[in-house]
Amino acid sequence: MIEVEALTKRYGRAAAVDGLTFTARPGTVTGFLGPNGAGKSTTMRVVVGLERPTSGTARVDGRRYADLPAPMRAVGVMLDARSVHPGRTAHKHLLAMAQTHGIGRARVREVLEQTGLEPVAHRRAGTFSLGMGQRLGIAGALLGDAATLVLDEPVNGLDPDGVLWVRRLVRELAAEGRTVLLSSHLMHELALCADRVVVIGRGRLLADAPVQEVVARSERAGVVRVRTSDPQPLARELLAAGADVAPQEGGALHVRGATVDDVGTAARRCGATVLELGAESGTLEEAYLQLTRDAVEYRTADDREGAR
Amino acid sequence: MRTDPAGTRPAGRADPARRGPTPTRVLRAEWTKLVSVRSNAWLALGTVAATAVTASGLGLFVRPEDGRSGSWVVTSGFVVAQVGFLVLGALVGTSEHTTGTARTTFAAVPRRLLVLAGQVGVTAAAALVTALVALGASYLATSPARAGDAPALDPSVPGASRALLGFVVASVAVALLGLGLGALLRRPADTIVGGLVLLVVGDQLLAANPGRLTDTVRALLPSSGARLLQDDAALAALDAATLGPRLGVWGGGAVVGAWVLVVLGAAAYRLRRHDLR
Amino acid sequence: MSAATTGPHHSRVASTPAPGPTLGRVVAAEWTKLTSLRSPWWVAAVTVVVTGATAYLAAQASSSDPGYQPLGDLTVGLVLAQLGALVLGVLMGTGEFRTGAFRTTFAVVPRRWTVLGAQTLVMAAFALLMGVLATAASVLGILPAARSRGIALDLTAGDTPGVLLGMVLLVVGLALLGQAVGALLRRTVPALVTTLGLVVVLPLVLGLASDPLLTGGDPASLPLAEEVTGTTVLGTLEALTPLAAGFLMTEPASATPVAGAPDLGPVGGGLVLAAWVVVLLVAAAARLRARDVR
Repeated sequence: MIEVEALTKRYGRAAAVDGLTFTARPGTVTGFLGPNGAGKSTTMRVVVGLERPTSGTARVDGRRYADLPAPMRAVGVMLDARSVHPGRTAHKHLLAMAQTHGIGRARVREVLEQTGLEPVAHRRAGTFSLGMGQRLGIAGALLGDAATLVLDEPVNGLDPDGVLWVRRLVRELAAEGRTVLLSSHLMHELALCADRVVVIGRGRLLADAPVQEVVARSERAGVVRVRTSDPQPLARELLAAGADVAPQEGGALHVRGATVDDVGTAARRCGATVLELGAESGTLEEAYLQLTRDAVEYRTADDREGAR
Repeated sequence: MRTDPAGTRPAGRADPARRGPTPTRVLRAEWTKLVSVRSNAWLALGTVAATAVTASGLGLFVRPEDGRSGSWVVTSGFVVAQVGFLVLGALVGTSEHTTGTARTTFAAVPRRLLVLAGQVGVTAAAALVTALVALGASYLATSPARAGDAPALDPSVPGASRALLGFVVASVAVALLGLGLGALLRRPADTIVGGLVLLVVGDQLLAANPGRLTDTVRALLPSSGARLLQDDAALAALDAATLGPRLGVWGGGAVVGAWVLVVLGAAAYRLRRHDLR
Repeated sequence: MSAATTGPHHSRVASTPAPGPTLGRVVAAEWTKLTSLRSPWWVAAVTVVVTGATAYLAAQASSSDPGYQPLGDLTVGLVLAQLGALVLGVLMGTGEFRTGAFRTTFAVVPRRWTVLGAQTLVMAAFALLMGVLATAASVLGILPAARSRGIALDLTAGDTPGVLLGMVLLVVGLALLGQAVGALLRRTVPALVTTLGLVVVLPLVLGLASDPLLTGGDPASLPLAEEVTGTTVLGTLEALTPLAAGFLMTEPASATPVAGAPDLGPVGGGLVLAAWVVVLLVAAAARLRARDVR
């Protein structure tokens, strides 16, 4: 379990993280979402004690990371795939990590196997492709069999097989009751594997809710799209019934405030031939873009207020 | 939504503190890290070779009337060896930061001073082994010269055996100085140049302008550690020539030891206080 | 673009100046790359300050000596300035390879020798700037001591202009030496160790071999110093090291050579240093041509 409370981290005057509060719970994959430079990596580095918060706290299982008696067995960490000496083999890199906690060689072999790195275990990490480096980072996070995992952009640079593998792995880890905090800028990926998303922008919390709930907030959610031979009469009919209608290209209409059944019935009433009819569903991507856009607008409005 | 987390707790979570990092474990991990980078092995090998070659080369130019001792002939490669030991320490101290391994290391062991202590341990051990091998190689490489015009290695010369031991001690001290500077500065170029100024260039510069002040500063530079390699007669000659403090038999060792402690202390302070990236 | 263009294709207008990379353009690009980094400026600033401060301290220390010659302390700061020049050269020589920026560079300008040539020119220009400033700092450093003894400095008399020029050229030469080794070895630590070994440690070893008084000889047991006549093997080797040869440029032309060393003179010394640079640059160029860059 990871509890971040009123966390602020400043570099000089610039705040990378600004009063951030959220909790990543056991049995859940928490997706950590935000544009580049939003403060995701900074937050994760603070969580694992590499950086000190300017104010606020970050706790793992109720303790400061540095106070954990066996940190690697409590938290599996993968921050940046390039956290390896390029001259060291994958096997030795993991072995050295394992030795700090008295973890045996058998476990090292196990994670090498699990991440598919066995064939290249004795190659120097500097010769690895981006995807192999990523797998090595994940192997390091799995090594301590920890109840909490912090993974920064784990699918970066992986091929489709690798992406699928990470998705399954992360779901399995959560199903075993572990806490998984995972950042990504790939919305589609997060929508598929996260239960909950924490969205931040410019270091501030924008949303902290289950994925479905966030998706439902997107503009397109609840819209019915209909394309007919003659859109004008249908639009009038729907407006008269109290729905919102927005004409689209190619004679299509986006209808809000009516169900698919309502629209179909209305079309028959005015004698239009229905060419296409269906409910639109929003995506996490749209919801996210909307959230961050709103945040920017809110900020600029704020700045104008301040300038006055 | 998911299965009850309490029912499927991953193994090992409930275990008490004995499963975390201990000094011994960190030491083992650091040793693995040191010996698993091939360039470190090449560096040690290169240091041994360069030391022996230098000693044998210098041995060819020693004449009986030079007033040099057998121990000087054997240890004369130190002038080159110290660069190797400096770089060894500097690499251990900086590679964490230049390669990003620091993220992995300090996430696994958040007690940062434990890691620094582990690095001190493995650097000292690696330097000790390398210095012993270099000394042995130098002994063999200079045996033709010592059989010829250069003086023989005579343990009855006062301070001769101490000088041989001094080669090893001074080598370890230089490696630890490199480690401390490296952990403090975090960049290899800065560390190596800084170390070389302290160990070689500063001494050279000051030696060119003898005086009370310059000789005092000279005595207080870590380059004084090289006095550990001198036998009694040579130390007496050095003390007679200086206008600064006379360091005697152990003063040079004390100076370099103090430098190691101060630099490592500064490195520990920076490690504790500053964020890691 | 223009309506007055006689040709039917715009491409003719565009191609009037050659569209691709020329030496001049690559030099401009390399200059931008070097001067947009912070590290060269830091190295240069520290070098200039340290050089001036060393000259000042040395002049203060010796100004009470009888028969004090302020110009004698002019070059003392170079003992540290040489390190600045070498480090600057090595960092610039390896920089592209260390950071991976060379991929961009060689993709944009596939003629690698043009790039190496441009880097050398730019390095020389920057080092020239640093050398001039370091020399000026040395002159400023000895002024207070000279004034305190009421000695007027005349920088235009006798050998002094030659010495000043030699100081600047020494800085340029050593920076190019560092750059050549850096471009040859491509990795900072090996390049730095090689350069510093060649420039700082090698003369020390040769000095140990020829002078028993350095570290640990017993002066009492030494025979009376005989006048060394002619050149010795060690003396010749020592004079041919980059540092000793380079420092000959900062000696007055009338100075007598070190015992046992051949009389190269300032020009000869400069040529020896230049030869080191050229040989190493050719090796770097050969490696650049023969080996893939990754």
